[in-house]
Amino acid sequence: MSDDEIFAAAYREHYWAVSRYVARRLDGRTSEVEEVVAEVFTVAWRRRADLPAAPLPWLYGVARNCLANAVRGQGRRRRLVHRLGNDHTAHRRHLVAGPGTETPGDWVHEALARLAPADQEVLRLTAWEELGVDEVAVALGCGRRAAAMRLHRARRRLRAEIDRLCPAPADAHASKDHGHD
Amino acid sequence: MTDELDVLRRANPVPGDGPAFGDGPLDHRAELRLGRLLDGRRTRPRPGGRLRPVWVLTAVAAVAALTSVLLLGGPAATPAIAAPRPLAVLADSAPVPLERLAERAATAASEGSPALRKGTHVRSWSLGMSDTEPPVTLPEERMVRWTADGRHTELVVATDPRQHGRPVLSDEDGTPRLVDDGQVISRVTFPPSWSDAPPAARPPHDTGRLRAYLAETVHGDIRTTPELLDAMAQLLDNWTLGARESAALAGLLADSGGLRSAGALTDRVGRPGQAYVYDDGSGVRHMLILDPSTGAVLGLEETFTADRPEYGVRAGDVMQYRAWMR
Repeated sequence: MSDDEIFAAAYREHYWAVSRYVARRLDGRTSEVEEVVAEVFTVAWRRRADLPAAPLPWLYGVARNCLANAVRGQGRRRRLVHRLGNDHTAHRRHLVAGPGTETPGDWVHEALARLAPADQEVLRLTAWEELGVDEVAVALGCGRRAAAMRLHRARRRLRAEIDRLCPAPADAHASKDHGHD
Repeated sequence: MTDELDVLRRANPVPGDGPAFGDGPLDHRAELRLGRLLDGRRTRPRPGGRLRPVWVLTAVAAVAALTSVLLLGGPAATPAIAAPRPLAVLADSAPVPLERLAERAATAASEGSPALRKGTHVRSWSLGMSDTEPPVTLPEERMVRWTADGRHTELVVATDPRQHGRPVLSDEDGTPRLVDDGQVISRVTFPPSWSDAPPAARPPHDTGRLRAYLAETVHGDIRTTPELLDAMAQLLDNWTLGARESAALAGLLADSGGLRSAGALTDRVGRPGQAYVYDDGSGVRHMLILDPSTGAVLGLEETFTADRPEYGVRAGDVMQYRAWMR
C-alpha cells in the first residue's frame, strides 16, 4: 500500500475515535470538534510518511497538539462565550444546585479537574481512550517508564481527590454506568 | 473498593457507544475532507468557523442580562480591578499613513534584525462575561517558549503591569476572584509537536505567501479587515515576528483597506505607538497599534462602540486588549 492508501485506511478506521478524543477535551463544545479533527488529519496527512503501524496513539498525540493550539486561540474567546448559556458544560454547571443533584460523573470530573493537566491527560488516555502504557507513551511523546510513572502518580492523586470529594465508597458515586469505549 | 480508573471510565463523557461520535462509516463531511486531502486540496471547515464577527455576535446575542456592579472585598491594598479605558490618541499628534509605516517596516527589514522567534509573550486584558455576573476585566500574561527538542512550555500568570503588586482578578477556576499579582494560572509543557501547518509552521516573509499562510491559519479566505486582524492575532500568539515578517504583515495591513490612521499614543505597557482604527459599525471597534519606527505590531484593542445595557456593556468598554512583547 502507498502512504496515501495507508493514510486513507487510518482515517476511515480512526476518524471517530479521534473525534471522541477531541470531544472529551472540549468540555461539551461539540460544534468545535469537527474543526479540530479536520486539523488533526490535515497535520497527519502532511506527516503521513511517519504514520506508524498502529497509528491511533500517534494520532492522539497530534490531536493533543492541535487542541493546544485550538484552546490557545480560543482562550480569549472563552472569556466571552464560555459561560453564556449556550455551552453544554457551562449550562450543566449552572444547573447543578448541590452534590445531591449532580450525576455521579460530575463528582469524578470535579476530582479530575483538581489534578494537574499532565495527570489529567494520562488518566484520560488510560481510562477513556483505553490505551496501554506503551500507547500512552507514544501519545505523550515520552518513554514507557516515564508514562508508567506518570500514570501511577496520577492514579494515586485521583484516588485522593475522589476520597476528599466524597468520603463514601467510590462505588456509591459511580453507580450509574456511562459506558465506555 | 472500586478502582479509580473504573470510576473514571464510567464517567466517560463521550463513550464509544454513545449517541455522538460513535464508530461507524464516515459521514458526508468527513468523506469530503478525506477526498480533499487525497486530492491535495486544502481542507476547509464550515464557513465562519473561527471568524471573530461570528463569535462576537454570538456572545452578544447569547449573554444574559447583566445589571449590577460587581463588588469585591479585598485585602488592604487596592485591587487592580478597575476596567481599563480605551487608549487615547495623543492630542495634536500627527497621523502617519499606514502605507508610510509599511515602507518603514520594509526599510527596517532590510537590516535583517530582529530575527523571527518561535514562541510568544503577550499581555492581555479580556472582558469576561457570564450569565449571572457583571463583566469583569481579566489581565493575564502568557509566555510560550520552545526548546530545541521540539517541546514547548506555556506559562500563564494573572498580572496587570499597570498595577504591579496589587491583587488582580482571575477566573482560572471558572469564577472571577482576586488573586495575588503574578499567580500562576497554568504551566504546561507539551511534547514535541509534529504540526507543520500554520500557525505552527514558520511564517513566510513576503506578503503573498503570508496572506495564504494566514488564510490557512484561520481555515478560510480572509475577506475583511477584522478577519485579517483575527488571523494576525493568531499568528502573534504563536510567533514573535522578525523584521522581515513584520514588514510583510505591515504590507498586508496597508493593503487591507479600512484601517484609518488615528495618531500617536502610548500603549498599555508604555510603548509609543501609531494607532489605526477599523470601525464598520458592527458594534466593535478595532484599533491596531504599530511601532512608529519599525511597523511591528504592538497591540490590538477591541472596544464596544454602543451601550448594551441589557448585557451590562457600555460604549467604550474594552472587550479585549492584547500587547505583544519581544
